[in-house]
Amino acid sequence: METPASGSYQVRLEVFEGPLDLLLFLIRKKKIDIHNIPIAVITREYLQYLERKEGINLDREAEFVLMAALLIHIKSQMLLPREEPLAGGEDPRRFLVDQLVEYQKIRAACSLLKEKEDEQLSLWAREALPPLPEAGESDLVEVSLFDLAETFFVLMKRKEGENFRVVRGKNYSLEGEMNKIIAEIEKQSVIDFLDYFNARETLEEAIVSFFSLLELIKARLVLAVQEQLFHTIKVWLRKDHAARSE
Amino acid sequence: MTSGLKEMIEALIFMSLEPLSIEKIKEVLSDVPAAEVEQAAQELQADYAAPGRGIQLAQTGGGWVFVTRPEFDAYVRRLLKIDRKSRLSAAGLETLSIVAYHQPITLSEVSALRNVDSSYTIKSLLQKKLVKIIGRKKAPGNPLVYRTTDRFLAYFGLNSLDELPTEEEIAKILGEDKTVDQA
Repeated sequence: METPASGSYQVRLEVFEGPLDLLLFLIRKKKIDIHNIPIAVITREYLQYLERKEGINLDREAEFVLMAALLIHIKSQMLLPREEPLAGGEDPRRFLVDQLVEYQKIRAACSLLKEKEDEQLSLWAREALPPLPEAGESDLVEVSLFDLAETFFVLMKRKEGENFRVVRGKNYSLEGEMNKIIAEIEKQSVIDFLDYFNARETLEEAIVSFFSLLELIKARLVLAVQEQLFHTIKVWLRKDHAARSE
Repeated sequence: MTSGLKEMIEALIFMSLEPLSIEKIKEVLSDVPAAEVEQAAQELQADYAAPGRGIQLAQTGGGWVFVTRPEFDAYVRRLLKIDRKSRLSAAGLETLSIVAYHQPITLSEVSALRNVDSSYTIKSLLQKKLVKIIGRKKAPGNPLVYRTTDRFLAYFGLNSLDELPTEEEIAKILGEDKTVDQA
């Protein structure tokens, strides 16, 4: 009868990620040579762990059981008397040993990489530039040309089926559209990118006003901002716009 | 040597959002001889290695990048209000090192090496952009083939896959383990 007090098991509070993990632990605990595993001993130990489900990741139970089956299969292979020895003196344990040796290397590599991970985690690069957290201010993301273009094309695609076949003899100019956008923003203080282009009458007008918007952004007169990821894009006048245009 | 070259390189690295490779620097400074650029970059790195600074110039992910010194980690986290950075899970790290050492590799090959179904783990590594799909293997079922990314290198502070822990380093760890066990 095994009791925790018997001391025959020093239960480590770790969860074995997989069957190889547990096997390696047992091999180390029993100080077994990995190339000459006493299958009977290791199978018994392994099954004991499995029965008690101690430290075993239960999501992986099927995989642990599969390994138990493999161990028993190997044991039976070794017990079977053979009329002729297996080709090339093949050891039924070979496959398992190869796996264990490789897995052991991977675990060692993991421990080295983990050290590197720890080192790197204490170094901060500006790559992500997380915004300084300030109370009451939403995270504004200035959108890129690609965000704008993508949104625009999605919109145009959607409008394709609608009444874009109307032909009108009206010319749109960049300047005209730029002034229209600015006037619109000044009136409403902010415009919704999607709503604005949805309201354009023709494809031509929509395209020209899209280019005008790009011009305005380039001239740093307006700011296109996404308040949160996946939210609509809003266009504002830059604060210093008034000063600049005077 | 071209005057102000070191400072020029410093400005470029400062403005780059990802590790800036020496090739890219040479491309930008095309009118300066390549050897001079390299020498200036080395000098710059030496400057930053000298004490008296809060940031250092690190070579990682195939390029140069400014990073804070490790001893200021706690203060940077206080500034950004980040309690701690999340680490990879044990399963994630194991799967990632298998991909790193055995790439290009398929999901079933990874699972076979771990003796554990790894589809979920691979998916989360893909999301973290630490591995990428590079195509399909010409084998039954045409399984997807995975490789590690540049972000993987940067994550571990490596410049190339050649800097992964070597066979010798791994053997040393395994040897140490054995002596500990026997003791």
